Amino acid sequence: MTRNQIRITLLSGFALVAALIASRPVAAQDAKQPYPNRAPIEQYLMDRDAEIALARSAAPDSSSRDAEVLVLGRHGFETAVKGKNGFVCTVERSWTSAPDSDFWNPKVRVPEFLNAAAARSYLRRNLKRTDLILAGRTKAQVDEAIVAAVDKKELPAMEPGAMCYMMSKQGYGGDSVAPWPSHLMFYFSQTDPGTWGADLPGSPIFGMSDTREHLTEFVIAVQRWSDGTEAR
Amino acid sequence: MTRNQIHSIFLGAFVLVAALIATRPAAAQDPKQPYPTMAPVEQYLMDRDAEIALARSAAPDAISHDASVIVLTRHGYEIAVQGKNGWVCWVGRGWMAMFDHPEFWNPKIRAADCLNPAAARSVLPHAYKRTELLLAGHSKPEVIAAIKAAIEKKELPALEPGTVSYMMSKDSYLTDYGGHNGPHLMFYETAKDDAAWGANLTNSPVLSVNYWYISAQSYPQLKSFPPLSVFLVVVDKWSDGTPAPSM
Repeated sequence: MTRNQIRITLLSGFALVAALIASRPVAAQDAKQPYPNRAPIEQYLMDRDAEIALARSAAPDSSSRDAEVLVLGRHGFETAVKGKNGFVCTVERSWTSAPDSDFWNPKVRVPEFLNAAAARSYLRRNLKRTDLILAGRTKAQVDEAIVAAVDKKELPAMEPGAMCYMMSKQGYGGDSVAPWPSHLMFYFSQTDPGTWGADLPGSPIFGMSDTREHLTEFVIAVQRWSDGTEAR
Repeated sequence: MTRNQIHSIFLGAFVLVAALIATRPAAAQDPKQPYPTMAPVEQYLMDRDAEIALARSAAPDAISHDASVIVLTRHGYEIAVQGKNGWVCWVGRGWMAMFDHPEFWNPKIRAADCLNPAAARSVLPHAYKRTELLLAGHSKPEVIAAIKAAIEKKELPALEPGTVSYMMSKDSYLTDYGGHNGPHLMFYETAKDDAAWGANLTNSPVLSVNYWYISAQSYPQLKSFPPLSVFLVVVDKWSDGTPAPSM
């Protein structure tokens, strides 16, 4: 299972709508491949100030105001605001954060607020993936390159305590994804999701492993959006 | 429910900041020391079957059904049910709070908790040790010294990565304040401060405290203990699947 498949599985798990998603009519183009190719780069880019604000909305202002903010440029993510607290805010795009059917969906915007441990480990994979995508590599080529870099330890293992906030009201995960709840994510080098009791009936924790990338992600829904309003 | 009420709920879950405690009105006795000494041991004990049921209610049945269960006796915790999945469910008492916690000796505290295997191996031995020493009549300074020695001799294990505990029971009593309870998960980390997870900031969904003390003013030797933080995330359902109050 790829990381993007993991993400849709996790997000679907929240709302228990996996079956609905599978049968949901797709409005645009071929139902199986609504976005078969990369769109012009401009469609993935955002106004710089709007992207900074969206990135920061991933976490409460008390945390994100002192974080480094990355914004997407034509060749990859670049620092727009230097931070003070070790946290990093970004707005992920479809090629790191959407299911396969939305892999090239230019509307996808996924704000994340990563703690220092995640910024040093998990984020580096997304930055490399983005660099390769924008350099014109195919999805398959990028997947292979990331797996190879992980195996060669050019990309680091997950650090202990790596986690991120995804509490923005404004995120968009793709046409095939139900709106997700405000949540936290935790990253581990590959481990058994059962060690956290994930995915068992009644468990508040969802988890999934990507064996190729040796990555396990856990998701826990929280009660409020980053602005303090109720999320349920 | 206000944020301060949330904080007060987690007083008994061993999670709060000293300033809030100091400013809370107390329900009984001296507001700073509502429970200055240990009550008779009978007040901390429970009917065995009731304690097993309460312990299991900390997590969804899918987890707790196959977990080991330990119960409190006059001399410490003992295994009541041998489990199959590596998890351990138990009911913490007030003394599992920080050593300077005002409800340390509160005999009403019943904190149902299910620990995953990593936490059962590396956190629970500390609970066993602390409980046995306190029930044997040792003073807090004596217990602190004994635990420090045990850590240094590696008789108590270092924290394992990936620890989590479920505290989702509807029937726990975590504190005298607020609604006395709230479903949450706890994570133990060797982080030295709240900042690692962005905890305790306005609107943050994460709370954290030092495992050992609130201020260490009363027991300064605790400052030399290995860093151990407890991070807490509130969840929106009880272990039986029913929705919990918004926090």
